[in-house]
Amino acid sequence: MQALRLARPRASLRPFARSIAASASGTHATASPASSASSSVIPLSNVEAQWEQLSHDEQLTVHQQLEELQKKDWKTLSIDEKKAAYYVAFGPHGPRAPVNPPGTTMKVLLGTLAGVAAAGAVFIAVRSFAPPPPKSISKEWEEASNERALEQKMNPISGISSEGYSGTGFVTHK
Amino acid sequence: MRAQLVASLLRTRPIAVRRVAPMLARPSSNAAHEETFESFTERYVTFFQQAQDLFEVQRGLNNCFAHDLVPAPSVIEAAVRAARRVNDYATAVRVFEGIKEKVENKQQYQAYLDELKPVREELGINVREELYSS
Repeated sequence: MQALRLARPRASLRPFARSIAASASGTHATASPASSASSSVIPLSNVEAQWEQLSHDEQLTVHQQLEELQKKDWKTLSIDEKKAAYYVAFGPHGPRAPVNPPGTTMKVLLGTLAGVAAAGAVFIAVRSFAPPPPKSISKEWEEASNERALEQKMNPISGISSEGYSGTGFVTHK
Repeated sequence: MRAQLVASLLRTRPIAVRRVAPMLARPSSNAAHEETFESFTERYVTFFQQAQDLFEVQRGLNNCFAHDLVPAPSVIEAAVRAARRVNDYATAVRVFEGIKEKVENKQQYQAYLDELKPVREELGINVREELYSS
């Protein structure tokens, strides 16, 4: 049962994987002879954009290229070469890659606000379906309860019918 | 054979068991000398002048910037010249980035940049802001 279930997604994945492999080997085929022919196959002006996609061999080539460049007088280097050297050494890739991609703060903020808003909407919706409050929660009912309590001398020691009682009794409404 | 082994074990035992006299008085931590800013500067200037490879320069920079002080301009100059000697432009740029992290405000950073302007121009170092503004 398990094997049957697994078989289908794998079969559907396979042509996709093959196409990736084909495209990868295709780029290799175009890139590798050029890199063996000349060391400047990767334009240094574009290293920052390409760096993550470069293979290890290509990165090594760039490293060696930059090492040679930096042996020259630094005043003769172009801004692009300087930027490439700085990026490869200390740019935000590998261990220095930022933990959160840009825009994460906004995403978290909006997500939180959406969650709070959804909770508020649910609260209001549930309240709107609630039955009306019971008839005993009203000022008239409470005053009538007081009258009845006095009539029956309810709680005569410390409560509503005691001497000098100054509380409101059953009345909780203002 | 066995008797011999036992005998040799017995013979070696007292030596192994002998105790080292415990050190009762620990050296006081007050005895550690306090380094002045001048001697710190001098130490790192000579360190960077003698540094021979990139690893050593970067190790020195890590140590130097780990203290609760901003290294003196002479240290920075020695570090930048060391970076030039080991042919690493990126480290030279990174030194100035380190100063920017260490100083308290922008005026102090600007003061460092002004003080070190001759060296920067001599070696052709752009600080990070210059590299990425254009």
